[in-house]
Amino acid sequence: MPLLSVKNLSHTYPNGYQALHDVSFEVEAGEFLVIIGLSGSGKSTLLRCLNRLVEPTEGTILVNGQDVTHVSDASLRSHRSGIGMIFQHFNLIPRHTVLSNVLYGALGTTSTMSSITGRFTDQQRQRALSALEVVGIRDKVENRADALSGGQQQRVAIARALMQQPQLLLADEPVASLDPATSHSVMDYLERINKDLGTTVICNLHFLSLVRRYATRVIALKGGHLVFNGKPEDISDEWFRTIYGEEAMEVDIR
Amino acid sequence: MKTSLAFLLDALLGLCVSSMLLQIIIPELTGLSIAPVIIIPTTILWLAIALLRKASIGLLFVSSKNERPLPNNVRAHMGWIAFCTSIVAGWIVTDISPVEFFSSEGLQGAGRIFGALLTPEFDVLPAALDAMVVTIFTALMATIVAVPLSFLLSFPAARNVMTGGAIERTIYVLLRAVLNIMRSMEPIIWAIIFSVWVGIGPFAGMLALVVHTVASLTKQYSEQIEDVDQGPLEAISATGANRLQVLWFAVVPQCVIPFLSFTIYRWDINVRMATIIGFVGGGGIGTLLTQYQGLAKYNEVGTLVILITLVVWTLDVASARVREALR
Ligand SMILES: Nc1ncnc2c1ncn2[C@@H]1O[C@H](COP(=O)(O)OP(=O)(O)O)[C@@H](O)[C@H]1O
Ligand SMILES: [Mg+2]
Repeated sequence: MPLLSVKNLSHTYPNGYQALHDVSFEVEAGEFLVIIGLSGSGKSTLLRCLNRLVEPTEGTILVNGQDVTHVSDASLRSHRSGIGMIFQHFNLIPRHTVLSNVLYGALGTTSTMSSITGRFTDQQRQRALSALEVVGIRDKVENRADALSGGQQQRVAIARALMQQPQLLLADEPVASLDPATSHSVMDYLERINKDLGTTVICNLHFLSLVRRYATRVIALKGGHLVFNGKPEDISDEWFRTIYGEEAMEVDIR
Repeated sequence: MKTSLAFLLDALLGLCVSSMLLQIIIPELTGLSIAPVIIIPTTILWLAIALLRKASIGLLFVSSKNERPLPNNVRAHMGWIAFCTSIVAGWIVTDISPVEFFSSEGLQGAGRIFGALLTPEFDVLPAALDAMVVTIFTALMATIVAVPLSFLLSFPAARNVMTGGAIERTIYVLLRAVLNIMRSMEPIIWAIIFSVWVGIGPFAGMLALVVHTVASLTKQYSEQIEDVDQGPLEAISATGANRLQVLWFAVVPQCVIPFLSFTIYRWDINVRMATIIGFVGGGGIGTLLTQYQGLAKYNEVGTLVILITLVVWTLDVASARVREALR
């Protein structure tokens, strides 16, 4: 049974714009799946449908064979808490410490009272520290999150996601606001989490060079349609032009 | 629907212009008194011109930006007529009288009061300081009582929080409406109400300020909430956090500093308002001031005015500094 199976997924925004058209694919546990496509092709929408930050208009989403398309309240929160997510702009809580930010990854499994009064358990603190260890910034625990560099902030965000002990990690253009060297370092952490912890990763990416380097499989969106599903090495020049348009030219970042 | 509202506005404007012209300006200038019924035909005439020459002024108010009616000469003339009539009528109604302003008698009176204000009687200073302390603390307590209320109300009053369907939407709209009404009632009106309710004194003044402060702060707070960066909200929601946790961990941290800044400014405003409220029985320096003014003891009034000016100015500068530092 696949970890994730998306069937005939469509999404129409309240303003009537249809961002996803009948998208179907499956993801096996342990894959590093990369979603590519021009900006506006629906990558972020697709990712957000998976953890229901955006409500699918049609279609079904199965996680471990369980239909999560319409779960609500406690079941929705438990669905979300099993899926980590990181973002292009990191989305940390400014002014709060790195440790606090990582602890917030445990909100889904902590009661409202204990979390609001700041009573996280020692075990949760330990988990937060080891998550920071994984991304190599344990020494920054007491720093303010917004005082860190972009790359460091993204690593804190990864630690926050790890705090959820997720079976699936969603990454929405995680390196789009980072410089090339930092990009590779952040991608390396994702790869390590994928390989060492066995966490399945679904990642939106812009640069094909990164795709070839990290993806175990690629799907491509064009105008909300799924137009490619295969190995990264199978993206021929012709596919490339189909996905990115005739005018496109491949650029490399190293 | 829109056009009928527009013509209703035109009719109202015509009514105002005709009344000003026929009941205020012409009687004043000629001494003739005109029967009020004459207003009806002139209003109809105004409306007819607006309709027939496509010169509705009301249409400007009800149409949205991209469907604004074209510029129109007749409308421009009608606008000028309304404007000039208002100024002339306003001059007459408010008794503007340069003659009195510059008459020797008038100037003597001004000299007397300015002289008294400039030779303050410092014997009242102890009483004045006591009253000032009352005013400052009235403002402080009003602010402190209002802050938690405003904080709690600001969430249901924020559009991006109340997204859970028709019921929430209704609560949001009702709350906003009530707050707008509360805010548009001047604190001085509330002070009159409360001075009857709980008796004249600082407590009435405080309650009046609390009502006005809650209405104002809630509006400012909720606008700040509507303005937060959505990124952290998404991130916290994605961890499986519930709604309360999302508000507390993603919204509140983005708002504390602006909230503090609004609050300090509100206290500053409340000190000024507490002074004014004192005039109608809200206690403190305002009440003292009306007492001495009623006794025509202008030298004492002078002391009070100097004290008020000093305190307001100091608070103004201090609160500006603090708010600057909070940025
Ligand atoms: N909240 C929204 N309301 C309406 N349209 C939206 C909204 N968010 C995104 N879209 C539109 O949906 C399309 C897909 O957006 P998105 O999923 O963000 O694409 P990508 O991440 O691939 O750049 C775009 O055309 C975008 O303009
Ligand atoms: Mg995107």
